[in-house]
Amino acid sequence: MESLEEIKTRVEAAVPGADISIIPNPGPANQPSLLIDNEHAPHVARFLRDDPALRLDHCSNVTGVDWLDRTVTKKVKVKKLVEGEEKEVEETHEEFFPGYLESVYHLYSMALKQGPVIIRMRTADRGEGARLPSLTPVYRSADFQEREIFDLYGIRFDGHPDLRRILMWDEFEDYPMRKDYREPDDYEYEPTPHDDVLEKAKQHYSTRPQLDGAEELTAQE
Amino acid sequence: MTPNPYFFIVIFVGVAVVFPLMPLGLAWLWRHFFQPPKPGAQKNATYECGVESLGEAHVQFQSQYYLYCIIFLIFDVEAVFLVPFAVAFTGLPVGAFVAILIFLLLLIEGLVWAWSKGCLSWAREKSVE
Amino acid sequence: MSEQIDEGLKSELQKQGIWVTSTQELYNWGRRNSIWPLQFGLACCAIEMIATAASRYDLARFGGEVFRPSPRQADLMIVAGTVTKKMAPQIVRLYNQMPDPKYVISMGACAISGGPFKQGYNVLKGIDRYIPVDVYIPGCPPRPEALLHAFMELQRKIDGQKLTGENKAAHLDRAQPSEFPVPAFGAHDLEPPSNLDLFRPPQIERV
Ligand code: SF4
Repeated sequence: MESLEEIKTRVEAAVPGADISIIPNPGPANQPSLLIDNEHAPHVARFLRDDPALRLDHCSNVTGVDWLDRTVTKKVKVKKLVEGEEKEVEETHEEFFPGYLESVYHLYSMALKQGPVIIRMRTADRGEGARLPSLTPVYRSADFQEREIFDLYGIRFDGHPDLRRILMWDEFEDYPMRKDYREPDDYEYEPTPHDDVLEKAKQHYSTRPQLDGAEELTAQE
Repeated sequence: MTPNPYFFIVIFVGVAVVFPLMPLGLAWLWRHFFQPPKPGAQKNATYECGVESLGEAHVQFQSQYYLYCIIFLIFDVEAVFLVPFAVAFTGLPVGAFVAILIFLLLLIEGLVWAWSKGCLSWAREKSVE
Repeated sequence: MSEQIDEGLKSELQKQGIWVTSTQELYNWGRRNSIWPLQFGLACCAIEMIATAASRYDLARFGGEVFRPSPRQADLMIVAGTVTKKMAPQIVRLYNQMPDPKYVISMGACAISGGPFKQGYNVLKGIDRYIPVDVYIPGCPPRPEALLHAFMELQRKIDGQKLTGENKAAHLDRAQPSEFPVPAFGAHDLEPPSNLDLFRPPQIERV
């Protein structure tokens, strides 16, 4: 199969205006992916599916990823004039990355027996802007998985034919797979708690009644 | 003295009445003395595999459904006649073979006619077209 | 009518060829030997329940082979598997629709406490939060022998139930409820998260 760079150039030639970047994956899996801008995503997906050299006709997996807001502190060495002479001084820069949600599609080709090509899309933010174009019109198999992402991460897929919750009930309001999900506090009975659970169970512990001497009175009788 | 022959029927009827009434009576006594009935809104609700029942129990089937049933008869009749025909196949004259072929053709013609009339597609699909 | 018969007298009579019994014994004997379970399974534990009912383990030896597809005819609810929060109201409703007397076996770690999925966002931490459970069997999954054991335990329990008096069986007691409130789907959790009349977890005293 072609390398991602080749795919990227061909897609950009085929879908004018598409803004595609390659996201490297430094982990042991080493599966870099294509980040696709939301506006052109359906076109790009259609191209990937129909291109005779790629024929990525099978969307095997769709997942969501939650990225929280994060600040990265960097130490930079800057030359500065301190008391008349030039010195190297370390300065810390704080860079703020706003959080976003991602959906990741794993595409394979059944016809040409190749893949996967991984594409992702990013939402603008984690609140109201958590919208992405649906790829269900291109890949039928994305239907339930996009519903699941909507259910668990709260990404709304524009153009999805039937976007409802799939695992949780309709009245549910939270998105349980988001990293800042607060689960209901039902830790009133944890016989063998540890770690996080221990911390939560402690809220329900009653303190041992203080000895006030009364029990000795009954003992004497 | 021989008893009246109808006497046995009277006994029989008597047993036939008492036998089913006895458990009912026992159950009534049991309820009266030991087990208080505990009816409730949910207990008496329509059983619907645990979900709350919706709408009317008296739903109308599409008339298309009955057409399906009738057309199914074609295959039913066919099977009834084909099995003895197949069993006796080697010993039959040519005339019988031709006769059963004509019979099959008639049935198939009926099927084709129903098909071409659109009886085999659901009404909803037709309205979409 | 339902007082215990003197055991010595009973066996003495039996030697003479006279068999005596009490209404209570007869009643419990009949009930304990025809416990009909409700036919439903929730997760992997259900496979073990099916195995128990099949020929190798043969639940029929204990009179429990008649799995009823309708709660109207069932005496026993075997909660076999993970109870998700989405499923819990349906289970409580099925329990409510069973006629008295009714019993519940909570089969497997999941039905007892949520099991391996205890901290999951969608898993109920034990069915005893909503309905009264008679026998718990731990295990993930419990082996069919364990389910048979639970069955025998339940038979023992039925055998000991009283017809009259202070501690008579719950279904004979007018004051005991036979229906329990069905939880509603709330915005964050089931409402209420547990039936506090039933579910009183032991207070853990720690400093
Ligand atoms: S207890 Fe284990 S075997 Fe049983 S339902 Fe839960 S996970 Fe499955």
